[in-house]
Amino acid sequence: MNEMNALIAAILAGDCAASASLTGQLRRAGFAAPDIVMQGVEAAMSALDGKCTAEDFNLLEIMLAGRAVTEIMKLLYPPGSALAATKATVVVAALEGDVHDLGKNILKMVLTGSGYRVADGGKDCPLPRLIDMAEEERPLAVGISGLITPVIPRVRQVRNLLKERGLEGVKVVAGGAALKQASAERLNVDFVAESAFDGLHYLEELVGERR
Amino acid sequence: MNGLQRIATAVQFQATDRVPVIAQVFGHAARFCGVPLDNYLQDGNTLASCQLKAWERYGYDAVFSVMDANVETEALGAPLRYSENQYPVVERYPLSPEASCDGLTVPDPEQAGRMPEMLKALAVLRREAGDKVAVIGCVLGPFTLASQLLGLEKALYLAVDDPARWGRFLDFATEVAIRFGQAQMQAGAHLPMVFDPAASPAVIPAAVFREFELPRLERLFQAFAQAGAMANWLHIAGPAAPILPYYPKAGVQIANFDYPVSAPQVRQQLPATCVDGNIKPLLFVDGSPAEIAAESAALLDAFRNRGGFILSSGCEIPPEAKPDNIVALVQAAGNA
Repeated sequence: MNEMNALIAAILAGDCAASASLTGQLRRAGFAAPDIVMQGVEAAMSALDGKCTAEDFNLLEIMLAGRAVTEIMKLLYPPGSALAATKATVVVAALEGDVHDLGKNILKMVLTGSGYRVADGGKDCPLPRLIDMAEEERPLAVGISGLITPVIPRVRQVRNLLKERGLEGVKVVAGGAALKQASAERLNVDFVAESAFDGLHYLEELVGERR
Repeated sequence: MNGLQRIATAVQFQATDRVPVIAQVFGHAARFCGVPLDNYLQDGNTLASCQLKAWERYGYDAVFSVMDANVETEALGAPLRYSENQYPVVERYPLSPEASCDGLTVPDPEQAGRMPEMLKALAVLRREAGDKVAVIGCVLGPFTLASQLLGLEKALYLAVDDPARWGRFLDFATEVAIRFGQAQMQAGAHLPMVFDPAASPAVIPAAVFREFELPRLERLFQAFAQAGAMANWLHIAGPAAPILPYYPKAGVQIANFDYPVSAPQVRQQLPATCVDGNIKPLLFVDGSPAEIAAESAALLDAFRNRGGFILSSGCEIPPEAKPDNIVALVQAAGNA
């Protein structure tokens, strides 16, 4: 397990080159890709989660870990290869009118590193496109990140639009600087996440309930 | 006492006739006057006229020439997309991550992009309001402006992968801020507020702030003080508590604090610095005047025996805010 611990440390340090090299060593030592994801990547994300408290949470640290995770996943699952089994699918987007996608990208990294499949609606995403994606993907949840307040009226519509398509079982999670100032009730969503990890905890509870 | 005197006195921790109040009204002034935001942001006369009308209506203690977070970015060559109801967005950043900033020249505030319009707005505001109210300009702080050259995500990776090159981006950004801020004071600003959201601990660890941002802020604020700034005002939103202890060394005399930082925290960390804050901006949109009054009363209580406090929102009051909520904020200061 020394290499696995080293991989966890490399991810937490945001060391992309070391993460890639250790992933190669683990593969050569006979570890299967899903084991590296569960014992290495997910363990690192869990450690990062514990480290990022409400008082000490910054995008840079998570971005660096996320970049290392992205590199590892590319090595383990090159384009075209079958994806690992996932806990659930989540559709993420920044809605039309909001071109700030860093928060959404952070959520994507945290979820991918924690065993979820993420369908990315991108930034400035029109509501019809988001709902179409939800219909196609049948996700556990839709995650909406918002940095600016003018998107709030659109956020409020998401749950009703999902319901109109018979997707009332899909949970709506909101986060980001503007949205987290509001309550779930005022945003008409199921959960307002204080951080990407807070959103992850909510999804983990949903996954637990489904099992 | 007038607004300017109130703020200047609060900075010195001396007694004022009432607690100064600054509603961070920027684009809301356009909405208030029924003017399209893109017009307000591109025409200095329109901006000044809307700011003056909003000031006459609300009666707070400062007016602003703040446009949006992309004035400098545009002046450095980034095309922006404007719209009637929202702040403009960058269509293409001026530099790629591989590029050096050595080829960039510090923009001339009299010529570049909308910088001359902001100077025009400041001249009108000062001419019309004189010294009755604080006339506040705005520059982007080093971390935010340097990030705007590449886009935040790429900039943050560069800061880690090539700190020396990132340092040169920050030095360049500091020079841009110094020149633009000096021009704003020459045009009529009592001070240029330094707006630096990308330096927030929400984005970078406090150690990165200390190593990269602090020395540049010191340089920037020294230059502003020498140019006659009434005070040095730093505006970093979000959970700023871990970096507050560095503010006095940076030369900060007014520290904005946002709603994730509590009044006791800021009192403890900045015992001798005037602070402004910290009502949740969104409460001005979907809250009620009674809620604003209650939040204001709690803040006024928290600073009652200390002084050095300006009642304000934690960050910009959104353009779509309800006017009655801004009235409630100003009334709360009057009732204190």
